[in-house]
Amino acid sequence: MKLSEWMVKPTPQTEWIDKRGILFWLAVFFIELGAGAFFVGTIFKSIEAMLIGWLICGVLGGGIHVLYLGHPFRFWRMVSKPGSSWISRGLIFISVFLVLGLIYMILTQVGSSSPILMILADLFAFLSIVYAGFAMNYVNGIALWNTALLPVLYAVSGLWGGAGLALGIALASGNVSTVGISVEEWIRVLLISYVVLLIAYLISVRYTNPTGKFSVQEIVAGKFKALTWFVVVLLGLVVPVTVVLISLNAGLENMPAAVLYFTILCELLGDLTLRYLILKEGLYSPLIASSAYPSASGY
Amino acid sequence: MRLGMVIDRKRCIACYSCMISCKQSHALPPDMFWNRVLVSETGSYPTVTKEILPVICNHCKEAACVEVCPTGATTKREDGIVYVDADKCVGCRYCLVACPYQMRTYLSDNKKEYWPGQGLTELEKFGREVFYPLQEKTVVKCNFCIERMDKAKEDGLTIGIDREATPVCVNACPVKARTFGDLDDPNSNVSKLIKERKGHQLHHEYGTEPSVYYLD
Repeated sequence: MKLSEWMVKPTPQTEWIDKRGILFWLAVFFIELGAGAFFVGTIFKSIEAMLIGWLICGVLGGGIHVLYLGHPFRFWRMVSKPGSSWISRGLIFISVFLVLGLIYMILTQVGSSSPILMILADLFAFLSIVYAGFAMNYVNGIALWNTALLPVLYAVSGLWGGAGLALGIALASGNVSTVGISVEEWIRVLLISYVVLLIAYLISVRYTNPTGKFSVQEIVAGKFKALTWFVVVLLGLVVPVTVVLISLNAGLENMPAAVLYFTILCELLGDLTLRYLILKEGLYSPLIASSAYPSASGY
Repeated sequence: MRLGMVIDRKRCIACYSCMISCKQSHALPPDMFWNRVLVSETGSYPTVTKEILPVICNHCKEAACVEVCPTGATTKREDGIVYVDADKCVGCRYCLVACPYQMRTYLSDNKKEYWPGQGLTELEKFGREVFYPLQEKTVVKCNFCIERMDKAKEDGLTIGIDREATPVCVNACPVKARTFGDLDDPNSNVSKLIKERKGHQLHHEYGTEPSVYYLD
């Protein structure tokens, strides 16, 4: 972008998606996916889902998040302002979740699990899922993020992704008839919620201001339309909805495992792509009006 | 005291003196500007208007960057200057994303030379290592020439009036489009200008209360 074009038309945020910013995108996805899988795992007593979720959240998500920092060895400083910073809160939520989750899993394995500990671990797992949504929602300069629906969408997508992962783990460990069927009931509800929320989110952003409208247009009909319609909608939504409808009639245990694995992969890919688009199309309003973007005067 | 700046857009001729003087006095690497002059066109032929908007960190009263900083590296001083303590910055860039004016920059490489492939010149080395060292992998931004303000207070100079007690971009402006002073003092040069000429802030709807005002 030429200097003369900077901030005279909608300017995308780049720090959390371009170059090393890719790490932020991946970190948030893995933290929410892992915490979601742990959450679902505790509900359905699947130690495999808990453990894999915990590892994805802590090692992949947390690790990538720390790697993204300019000074990773100073990360401990990030807990110093939980009163106002969502990044501080997020680090605290994830750290507490990882500690409580580990203790809960150990106690479960030795046969002395505590329901209070499970509730606390799940609470912090849930807070870990929603933290990035709130961190982004706080940025009032970006209309696409500055909506109360974003944290809700992220919460549902984290739980949905986690449930999908838990289903995949149940399939792999041969627990379809016990864990798998219960998880699938969750997936149905979460899938419907996700679709409704996504539509409501895009519609609500469209009517916030011209930049919000522009962001939504770019996602739906702009340079990313192929990603939106093919990956997010077709693979990420149409395929899971179709498979859920088929399994409602045929029964989950009668569904071919390959189809279920493919559906879970599509679901995760769609979710990851949507998060990419939300970060990529996070646009700031111009500071001055220009002929290229005349409707958004900065004053 | 709340230090602030008033920029008269009618006077600005987009000569870029503010940008260059700032860049020079802070020994900033290529592609990094703490001062920018935005130029655009509005309208269509034959009624086209050239819009010029010099921009700088707004040192907001309710600064989003201060609130979101997880380490307390970005703080607001009593005189209203928002500055970054590089030793505390972890480089999470939340402040960069949260600033609705995009006035912050992440310094990924302070060794980048102006003549690619030829290494840093002696002047560049002196500037970046001795004269105005900035810490890599941290967030940097305009600090209203904080070192000049501190020195001015020690020497008993009047901020915004004495040249040594005024940011370099204000001193460098050949058409005196910029004025610097105390916004809390109703008799200061900036307060009078804002009152007389109905100064306004950028994107006031964000509630950040910028300390940089514009006159149209």
